[in-house]
Amino acid sequence: MSQTPQSAADVRRLLASRKIEKVVVLGANGTMGYGSAALFTQAVPQVTFLARTKAKAEEGLGAAVKQVRSPTVASRARVGSYQDDLEAAVAGADLIFEALTEDFDVKKEMFDKVESCRSDDSIIATVTSGLSINSLCEGRNDSFRRNFLGLHFFNPPNVIVGTELIAGADTDAELLDFIEAFSRVRLGREMIRTADTPAFAGNRVGFKVLNEAAQLAEELGPVLVDRLIGPYTGRALTPLATIDLVGWDIHRAIVDNVYEKTSDEAHETNKLPAYMDRLMEKGVLGNKTGRGFFYKDDDKKQHVLDPKTGDYSPVADVKLPDLSYIDDVATLYKEGRYEEGMQIFLGAEGDEAALARKVVAGYISYAFHRVGEVTETIDGIDRIMGMGFNWAPPSVLVDTMGGAAAAVEMISKTGVDVPKFLEDAAKSGKPERFFNHRRINIGKFFVAG
Amino acid sequence: MAAGSDVYVLGGYQTDFARNWTKENKHFSALMRESVLGALETCDIAPEEIESAHVGNFAAELYCMQGHLGAFFTEAHPSFSGLPTGRHEAACASGSIAVLAASAEIEAGRYDLQAVVGIEQMKTVAPDVGGSYLGTAAWYEQEAEGVDFPFPTLFGKLGDEYDKRYGLKDEHLAEISRLNYDNAKLNPNAQTRSWYMNKEHALCRTDDNPAVGGRIRIADCSQVTDGAVCVFLASREYAEKYAKGMGLKLEQIPRIKGWGHNTARMRFADKVAESANDEYVLPHVRSTILSAMKRAGIDDVNGIDAIETHDCFTTSEYMAIDHFGITKPGESWKAVDEGWLEIDGKHPINPSGGLIGAGHPVGATGTRQLLDCYKQVTGTAGDFQVDGAKNCQTLNIGGSGTTSVSFVLGV
Repeated sequence: MSQTPQSAADVRRLLASRKIEKVVVLGANGTMGYGSAALFTQAVPQVTFLARTKAKAEEGLGAAVKQVRSPTVASRARVGSYQDDLEAAVAGADLIFEALTEDFDVKKEMFDKVESCRSDDSIIATVTSGLSINSLCEGRNDSFRRNFLGLHFFNPPNVIVGTELIAGADTDAELLDFIEAFSRVRLGREMIRTADTPAFAGNRVGFKVLNEAAQLAEELGPVLVDRLIGPYTGRALTPLATIDLVGWDIHRAIVDNVYEKTSDEAHETNKLPAYMDRLMEKGVLGNKTGRGFFYKDDDKKQHVLDPKTGDYSPVADVKLPDLSYIDDVATLYKEGRYEEGMQIFLGAEGDEAALARKVVAGYISYAFHRVGEVTETIDGIDRIMGMGFNWAPPSVLVDTMGGAAAAVEMISKTGVDVPKFLEDAAKSGKPERFFNHRRINIGKFFVAG
Repeated sequence: MAAGSDVYVLGGYQTDFARNWTKENKHFSALMRESVLGALETCDIAPEEIESAHVGNFAAELYCMQGHLGAFFTEAHPSFSGLPTGRHEAACASGSIAVLAASAEIEAGRYDLQAVVGIEQMKTVAPDVGGSYLGTAAWYEQEAEGVDFPFPTLFGKLGDEYDKRYGLKDEHLAEISRLNYDNAKLNPNAQTRSWYMNKEHALCRTDDNPAVGGRIRIADCSQVTDGAVCVFLASREYAEKYAKGMGLKLEQIPRIKGWGHNTARMRFADKVAESANDEYVLPHVRSTILSAMKRAGIDDVNGIDAIETHDCFTTSEYMAIDHFGITKPGESWKAVDEGWLEIDGKHPINPSGGLIGAGHPVGATGTRQLLDCYKQVTGTAGDFQVDGAKNCQTLNIGGSGTTSVSFVLGV
């Protein structure tokens, strides 16, 4: 998983070392399929959209053109069906990009076909967010396994640049370096290498926090939860609004997968609340069904879910406790005084502020506990949270609080496990900055609101 | 002509030009603060060391209902209270004018270490309102009032003038756009680094790339950008001390070797009329470029390793190509066709992505160009590094080729 800084000349040499001129996207009618295909057309002369039928592939192309608002997508695209076009397209492809539904057997069957007709030096990438890279290529021939990797774009890829690169046990190291450089330079991606662990890095850490918010909503109600874990805690979009945006079914698939396949120190925060299961049966899936934690009626009036009853009531009628500390924090953020704002948050009195600190502490703790498991260092988790979720990276929060000692004090007060890494750093007493990317402005994560 | 300057650039900091500070619900002062504190940290300079500050800004009064920007510098750090500060305005050249003023004070021996901040917050208003504000950089009543997008229209006329005198093909303009967008992908602070763009898109003539003024289409335009750039300028004495502290030799600290500065008549039509018998369309721009080279002791463009030019529109970069002397007058297309302008070409232009790719927060652009030249000559430009760059030159233009400033920065 190591990443060494390269000079511009090295990167140019690496990019020249092989060519990607023909890409085939499998499952090009799905959201990730057409979004990824659109992205490729920016840098690749020929991108073939394949789906079960040619009509479906054409739908994908239409959606791709609409997403990036450029007719040049169409000029570089070809469309076809698996039945008629897969063999020839895959045989001539430099990169075969799989974006089928998240079903192991469906993908496996497709890879059988791909393996039989691909050229030996072609690259096979999967955009899976939940399945294991190693299991997906298990039993395949040497050339397939050497050239197979996970390239996990986040949705929508034309907006979110954070991208996870996951190697299988046999993936060629030089190929990984090339794909990383190509994605970064040609596709404008922020590349993070992660281990082949459930939900990789971003979704593992991010959905833990989202699910914890969903758990808390049962007692506190969605409005209070989104206010408490709102922009001032380092995110543009509040957690429950985020679940509505990604879809409750997608949320369930991710947290169920993590809950089933892991047993970490915060295991229970990954358990989907029962009310979400119940309500999904009634068609509550978030924005795509017009009902989630929130919905807007025809008069643009916001309504909020009561998780216990499944009923909705106007957001305007919700009574909130005194949360004036949040306004005080926002006022300081507005002037760019992030450290001072953070101090107000850390010192705010009341059960609500304490609960908000517990969720933030849980995020930092969970992220630092995953180092060595999902990424080699905290840096990968930091960058995927920043550039994949648009949340303040855990290290940025630690720095803004005043460093390791301040963070350890804050976390231990909430009763959340203190990560050993932070504890050691605090003991060493050395003033240390954890987030060291000057190109990434930390201020953008602290939205004043 | 005055000799080359003895003013050193110690580095600086650029905010991420992709940010929308209005969406973050941030005040102008946050933008100022992040750029200044970022620069202090990047350059390892204590705030107490700063002796004076100059702020370059075009129109905060319009965009942010805020004047007196020099005073806002003191809000960035408690130790700045009481410092001499001021604000400079020359439309899109405001940032460079601030650098000129600061360097003159250093050369006069008044101060040893100065902060220069170029800053503009533009996403506070709708595009047509912003377009009208920008029109105040022209003779508003005569050239901008009642015109939807005055500046695209004026720079469209620059293209028309080239077409009339020498011939001009849209495909060469599209190629300039493509190159700036491509380079921006290498620049982690560029506004458009993750935008969808390629040559076909730049060339397309549909509603996805609509005309905004004459021959100028969206892909030919620089961006509406929120951004600030802070750089530190120092005297030789301070630079020597600074170099020692950083374990460097004085020769490794970039110096503003030369500068040029001219102001032409306000109206575009008058400029063109004046140059009717000149082989250069904007002779005052040419003169600015040559003055900077001459003061730096550089004979011609072959002594410049990279250029950061003012591509507010593709036509302005097209103009810059022959005005820098990369080609004969009217033959800018040759440099485009031959690939000379690419990062690894013979005369790299805008490795940062320029105003089209990196963004154009009007008052910050001059300082952004200087900082990007600093990154080039210190070998710290990352993915957009031009191999072995030692001398780089800027061209910053206010109005329709009205105020021109150029710096040669080198080690």
